[in-house]
Amino acid sequence: MKRADIGVGIGLIILATWVFWYSSAYREKEIYVYGPNFFPQILSILMGVCGLILIVRAVKGKVLPKTDRIDIQGFFRMVIAIGICIGYLYLMQVIGFAMGTSVFLFVLMTFLGQQGLIKRVMSSIAASLIVWAIFRYFLVIPLPTGLFDFTF
Amino acid sequence: MDFGLLSHAFGTVMLNPLNFFFVFIGITAGIIVGALPGLTATMGCALLIPFTFGLAPVQGLLMLMGIFCGGIYGGSISGILIRTPGTPSAAATLLDGYPLSQKGMGGKAIGMSTVASFCGGITGAIIMTFLSPQIAKIGLRFGPPEFFALAIFGLGMIITISGRSLLKGIISALFGLLITTIGFDPLSGVPRFTFGSQDLLGGVTFIPALIGLFGYAQVFRNIEKILILPVVKSKVENILPRLKEIRASLKTIIKSALMGTFIGSIPGTGCDIAAFVAYGEAKRSSKHPERFGTGILEGVAAPEAGNNGATGGAMIPMLTLGVPGDAVTAVLLGALTIHGLQPGPLLFRDHLDVIYPIFAGMIMAQFILLAVGLSGARIFARMINVDRKILTPIIFFLCVVGSYAMRFSFFDVGLSLIIGVIAYFMEYYGYSASPILLALILGPMAEQNLRRSLIISHGDPLIFLTRPICAAFLIIAIFVMITSYYRIKKAMDREAQAIAEKEEID
Repeated sequence: MKRADIGVGIGLIILATWVFWYSSAYREKEIYVYGPNFFPQILSILMGVCGLILIVRAVKGKVLPKTDRIDIQGFFRMVIAIGICIGYLYLMQVIGFAMGTSVFLFVLMTFLGQQGLIKRVMSSIAASLIVWAIFRYFLVIPLPTGLFDFTF
Repeated sequence: MDFGLLSHAFGTVMLNPLNFFFVFIGITAGIIVGALPGLTATMGCALLIPFTFGLAPVQGLLMLMGIFCGGIYGGSISGILIRTPGTPSAAATLLDGYPLSQKGMGGKAIGMSTVASFCGGITGAIIMTFLSPQIAKIGLRFGPPEFFALAIFGLGMIITISGRSLLKGIISALFGLLITTIGFDPLSGVPRFTFGSQDLLGGVTFIPALIGLFGYAQVFRNIEKILILPVVKSKVENILPRLKEIRASLKTIIKSALMGTFIGSIPGTGCDIAAFVAYGEAKRSSKHPERFGTGILEGVAAPEAGNNGATGGAMIPMLTLGVPGDAVTAVLLGALTIHGLQPGPLLFRDHLDVIYPIFAGMIMAQFILLAVGLSGARIFARMINVDRKILTPIIFFLCVVGSYAMRFSFFDVGLSLIIGVIAYFMEYYGYSASPILLALILGPMAEQNLRRSLIISHGDPLIFLTRPICAAFLIIAIFVMITSYYRIKKAMDREAQAIAEKEEID
């Protein structure tokens, strides 16, 4: 955690300096002394101080022990799942919400290792149709229709 | 308190079957979300807010309150059956709930938890109904300095929700406060930190941020650990506790419910602290404290009455002053705003048509919780067994829909995903997401009222100390922060000592 704390501390100081500098540009646009720059600049000062304290504490060895570690395999699984989700966001705009969602759920369930083809097909179609029906008919909230006219 | 308005509100809420339906849906969804380990009541409310967009404000809020009450109760089911609390507030329940389950009395423990939750919930709801208008009356006298002090008072809660490091909690909150400065400045109209993006002119939208912090982040953790987490199966038999058993625990239930409501009403405490305090007090005042922890029904009744009492208590500062009592009420506060209602004293002056049905609905929700809890406990217990590999993709999909539905914007979905990834890493490095949520709620209130106050006083900061209510809030805030800090430090020292002793024995 020591290196992470030092890294975050340095990042915070850089962010705080940038916020202070960037928000000072708002000063001229405001007739009051306590203009749009006032609050972000107070925050940036506090953030910089916190970053500094974090670094000092880390250097002194006052860091929290790590209670949980990222599982590397699991992490890559998560990254791929996000990739599948991004693909789904594009797919939904082409083939429509309900169909896109069914495909997304089926692919993700398969990727996560769910056994049983029928279980996967049924649960992905059921979940997408239920939510689609609630939004379409009950809440009357428009969802992406894709290239098809029948709003599926 | 206007009894005429309250009885009229009861009539309005009760006579419309749709209101029953929405509370029922909320309670059921809340229990399911609460019972599933890894899904908290906060996440449940966040995910289900989009489903209230098309509803009338009262119906939407009734549903969300149902989720809140159901979620807090539902956590006890998995705590009792599989020793994994569905929500943090059920952590105290498993101390006696799980040993009861091991003795083959899991069903009875759930039954007692349901009855105690009902008693706690109804106590909290009644106290909320009668106390809130009085507090709101005081709130009507507030000016910008008082509201700023109130925001500071609310932000003081960061100490209790920071997790293991206060410094990291403060950093999270500062990050959240910085996020609230994105978009048009409400006082001058100057766009800040938008970098030319039209989507950011209105600021970072609350719901996508919320879903990112509590929805996506949890989904990512679940996906990462999906092959590591053990699969535990649950089963439940007889549900109803005997009248004699309820009568034996009644004193504990009433005391815990009152304590829970009081604790819940203090910003920064919340349902989990209420549950532990109620459990501790029940054990302290018991004639047989040595039996606590071995599996007795009183040990289940006390924390459940306490945490459900806290639901009503936590609503008091949220509704009357616009300061959330805990993370779930912070989400509810956001939901009220989305429905065009600004929580605070003015709500009690301008929107009595909403406030009184909320009171009536909260009381009604407790009866529905009792009915749903007792009749459906077996089904909810079976829900815990649903395969994570099916459930996680469905929650992932609900996160996508939830973040999209607010503005029908794919930009919001992307933003929510990014916030989710940040929150996922934050958790690993000891930065809690809850302070960000609190900052998102209280940030605009703090900034606008700080600047307004300084403009009124021509830059003199003494304005915050010369006004009695404002000074009182600041003093209480400092007092609460200091006492909370030492309480948490003491608890952490005890925990560290216990770990060291355990290592020594090993």
